[in-house]
Amino acid sequence: MSRGRGAVLLAFGLAFAAPAAELPRLGTVLVPFPPGVGKEVADQACLNCHSSDVARQQKLTEKQWTATVTKMIGWGAEVRADRKEELIRYLAANFGPGNDSFRPVVVQPIRSSR
Amino acid sequence: MTRRALLSVGAAAVASAAFGRPAPERRLLQMNAYAPDAETPLDLLTTYLTPNDVFFVRHHWNANAPDPRTWRLVVDGEVERPLSLSLAELKRLPRATATCVLQCAGNGRALFEPPIPGVQWRYGAVGNARWTGVRVRDLLAKAGLKAGAKHLHTAGADDPPGKTPPFHRSLELEKALEDGIVAYEMNGEPLPPLHGAPARLVVPGWAGDHWMKWLSRLSPQADPQKGFYMDVGYRYPNNPGEPGTAFKAEEMHPVTDLFVKSTISDAPRRARAGSPVTVRGFAFSGAPDVARVELTDDGGATWRPATLGREHDPYAWRLWSFRWTAKSSGRATLHARATDSRGSVQPREAVWNQSGYLWNGWHSVDVEVTA
Repeated sequence: MSRGRGAVLLAFGLAFAAPAAELPRLGTVLVPFPPGVGKEVADQACLNCHSSDVARQQKLTEKQWTATVTKMIGWGAEVRADRKEELIRYLAANFGPGNDSFRPVVVQPIRSSR
Repeated sequence: MTRRALLSVGAAAVASAAFGRPAPERRLLQMNAYAPDAETPLDLLTTYLTPNDVFFVRHHWNANAPDPRTWRLVVDGEVERPLSLSLAELKRLPRATATCVLQCAGNGRALFEPPIPGVQWRYGAVGNARWTGVRVRDLLAKAGLKAGAKHLHTAGADDPPGKTPPFHRSLELEKALEDGIVAYEMNGEPLPPLHGAPARLVVPGWAGDHWMKWLSRLSPQADPQKGFYMDVGYRYPNNPGEPGTAFKAEEMHPVTDLFVKSTISDAPRRARAGSPVTVRGFAFSGAPDVARVELTDDGGATWRPATLGREHDPYAWRLWSFRWTAKSSGRATLHARATDSRGSVQPREAVWNQSGYLWNGWHSVDVEVTA
C-alpha cells in the first residue's frame, strides 16, 4: 500500500467530507510518522504491531513517553539499547503535551463479511 | 471531486432541505489503522440501535476471527461435565436476547486533563445493540457448575504479538450468572468478525473490557484471573486523588459498572432567539435504568428535563430530546446531565484516573444565537 496515496486520501477525506463511496476502508490509510531524527527508530519499533495513528494522537510528557517506550520494549518492540533515548526524544518532541496535530482518518462504514 | 461525488453532495443537500439538518454520512473515525480501532461520529448515534456497520471497533491487536466451521467454545474449570460446543450446538441451546450498551472503558480518555496514554477516544466508543445468544447461566447449568466457583475466567481466540501479555480475563461469577450472554448475533445479524465472531461475551451494564471477543473458553474458578489485563490494566482507583495521582495496583479495583452519562448527539450550530430548536442525545448507566436527563443553558444554575424516548430495556441507552428556546442572541452553551435509577448523578467534571477510564463529565455544545 502506498503511503503517498494514503496521504492524498487523508487530505481529501478531511477537506471535503467525501461521500461514503470515496472514503477509504478502515486500515487502508497509513499516515507516516513525521520526518525527523528518530523517525527511523519509531518506524522499526512501533509499526510491527500498530499503525502510527495511536502514537500520533498522544500528548505525553517525556516521562510518560519513557514509561510507554519501556513498556513496549518489554512487550517486544525492537529498539536497540543505544537508540532508546533517540526514540523517546522523537516521540516527546512530536507528540508532547501541546500536540494538536492528530485528525482521525474518516473511513467507510464496515460491511459485514467473512 | 468526481461527478458521482458531486451528485451525492447534491442528494445530501436535498435531504438537508427536507429535514432541516444535513443527513449524516455513514462513516467511522479511524483511531488506529491496525490493530483496528475506530469510533462512531456522534451524528450517527441518534438511533436506539446502533447499526453494525458504524458500531465502534476496538482491538488490542490484529486478531484473526476463528473459522466458524471449526470454532469450539470450551466450558471447563469448576464444572461436573466440561463442554466443547460447535457454533451449531451453541445455537441449539435456548436463545436469549439483551438490548444494551457496549462502551469501551476508555471512551472519553481524550477529555481528561492532564493527558493519559492510550487510544484517545472522545465520545463515540459506545453503541447500543440487540445481542442474541445463550445465557451464561444456561451454559454453566448444562456443564454442571460446582459450588465454590466465584470467578468466571474468559479467553478469546486472538493471540498477542511478540511478548505482549494475553488478554485473559475474569469477572465475578455472580454477575455473569445474572446477566451474561454468549452472543452470536448482533442486531439480528451474525456477529461480525470485527465484533468477535463467532461469539462474544455480553455483560450488560459493565464496561467493554469484560465483553470478550472471539470467545473460546469459559472457566469458572475459585480465584480471579491473573496477568497484566487483570493486575495492571482495567483497574480504577479505590479513592481517586488529584488529577495526575498514580496509584499502585492494590489501591485499585477492576473497572466494572459503567458510570451514569448523557451525551448530546445532535444539536443545531445556530438558532434564533425566541425560536425553539431540538437537541437530542442518549443516556445510560451501569444501573439498569436512566431516571432522567436534564439540560441547562446557564452553566448549571437551572436545569430543565428532557423528554425520554419510549424505547427502553435494562442497561440499554435511553434516547432523549429537548426543545430549547434561546432567550437572547450571542453564544449559548448547553450542558446535559443524566441521573440513573440508583440516584447517581452525572458530575460536572469526570474523576481523573491514571488509565483514563469511564469519562462522564457534563457534555456541552455551543450554539450561536442570532436575534
